[in-house]
Amino acid sequence: MARTDDIKRYLIEQFLLDVTVDELEDDFDLLANGVVDSLGLLTLVGWLENTYKLDIDALDILPENFRSVASIDAFLTQADAVASGAK
Amino acid sequence: MPWRSLPGRIAEQAELRPQAPALLWHADEVSYADLHRMAGAAAVRLADLGLPSAEPVAVVAKKSPQAIAVVLACLMLRQPVLLPSAELGAETLSALLERCGARRLPDPAELTSGEGGFTVREDGDPDDVALLLTTSGSTGLPKVVPLTGGAVERFGDWAAGYFGIGPESTVLNYAPLNFDLCLLDIWTTLSRGGCVNLVDQDLAANPAHLLAQFQARPVQVVQGVPMLYQLLAQAAEADEELRLDSVEHALLTGDAVSARGFEPLPDLLPKAVFHNVYGCTETNDSFIHTIDPIDPMPYGTVPIGRPIDGVDALVLDEDGAELTGPGRGELVVSTPFQTAGYLDAELDRGVFSERAGGRRYYRTGDLVRRHEDGVLTLEGRRDFVVKVRGVRINTAEVEAALRSHPAVTEAAVLAEPDELAGMRLHAVVQRAEGVKLNSLIIRQHAAGLLPRVAIPSTFELVDTPLPRTSTGKLDRKAVQRRTRQAQADHRTDTTASGG
Repeated sequence: MARTDDIKRYLIEQFLLDVTVDELEDDFDLLANGVVDSLGLLTLVGWLENTYKLDIDALDILPENFRSVASIDAFLTQADAVASGAK
Repeated sequence: MPWRSLPGRIAEQAELRPQAPALLWHADEVSYADLHRMAGAAAVRLADLGLPSAEPVAVVAKKSPQAIAVVLACLMLRQPVLLPSAELGAETLSALLERCGARRLPDPAELTSGEGGFTVREDGDPDDVALLLTTSGSTGLPKVVPLTGGAVERFGDWAAGYFGIGPESTVLNYAPLNFDLCLLDIWTTLSRGGCVNLVDQDLAANPAHLLAQFQARPVQVVQGVPMLYQLLAQAAEADEELRLDSVEHALLTGDAVSARGFEPLPDLLPKAVFHNVYGCTETNDSFIHTIDPIDPMPYGTVPIGRPIDGVDALVLDEDGAELTGPGRGELVVSTPFQTAGYLDAELDRGVFSERAGGRRYYRTGDLVRRHEDGVLTLEGRRDFVVKVRGVRINTAEVEAALRSHPAVTEAAVLAEPDELAGMRLHAVVQRAEGVKLNSLIIRQHAAGLLPRVAIPSTFELVDTPLPRTSTGKLDRKAVQRRTRQAQADHRTDTTASGG
């Protein structure tokens, strides 16, 4: 899916990963494997907000929501639903 | 004065001031009565599990009121508690527990859910081990540092006196529960009837959470690594009016703050006295320096200052002779709060030693300079230990972990300065011939062995041998030069092609 590929491309570039989009599995644990640390998480959330026009409450930035590409994607889907529900 | 154990003191607070706040967790206050009830409930459950036992038990949990209550419950039962990092790799964690003969306790939320009913009857022996902390080693397994109840009590006496921690105090706790820093911000505060304002580990890099905690309950004493202060300063950039004017004492510890890092702090914390505190898990705090906001870096760096009351400190030259005047050498200390030695006594050799007068001293591995006025500054390390976010990491241990992957021939781990983290780790890994290996594979391998903070931030995989010295040892300086050159070339390329 295009959105997960975009997320992967961002992660590869931002966190200097020596892999291709195909090699980065959807369920690769970005937190436990030290790719995204607590500071990297804030950078990642900033990018998600800009790219997907979201306004994420700073206190909702729980690491669990960003553990893997799959969980980031699920978080975005949920954020979309909340945003369209609010309209 | 008779000695009082930590759980004894806290039980007393619960009796005298049951409604006083003991903990603040997000927006919720936990009173001394609540904390005592949770600890009592956990103690009843632990007794069902067959505790106390001679072997330690392990609390492997992120910081929470429940986790604090479980530690307290163990202390009530006079059960030694091992506190490993909650972020330790799974393989290393089980090896560590096995080495200590420690049983891992169930989840704190489950242990504290029942009814209370247990309370402390006796204070026990001050020389019995209460807490077992861990610190980075070079062998792959963390070193276990047992601390007696008496050492914890003596530390609390000093810290409460020096920073005025009492029933009216609120103290910010930034460090995870397994850190030695908690002796001050959690355990001293609770034993003196103050309130601990807890930072959620999951949100520790989030300035919004930090500010929310300051707003929920103004804090008089703050202790944290320089990164905490950098995050607060970042938050202040967004709001120029922001002043944390309840803070009376701001303790910087774990790492040296930079001139740029310190610069915004006197305005942000206008009523605070700034202290640079130096210590290590083996000895706890041993040096303190009050920072002069007009001249924070009198010797080009923030000094570690002078020994704390009751601490004896020596500076030894290369031959092990004691320097009596100014000069450079290794810092060796003896504190009233130190461990009697590692759990594995083999590790004590060359590290702990008795000197004239029968006092036991610890070799810190830190190289220091003593100046004319008797003040000390840090100059470096005798070994491969670096600080990442205030955590001691032995890069030799990280290299050994990377090298243990079958597809890795050699690995060098370099520490690069980083504005927020102090240092960040960069690994250069030589792939074995003809294997498929990328940084994600080796990260997964490292994550099983190392605490998360020790997993290098960046990896560089190469197919050529790493440079060696004339004696055949890995030449880390040459690796570093090559890496810097490659990065510089890369930047030039990017600029050239990017136009």
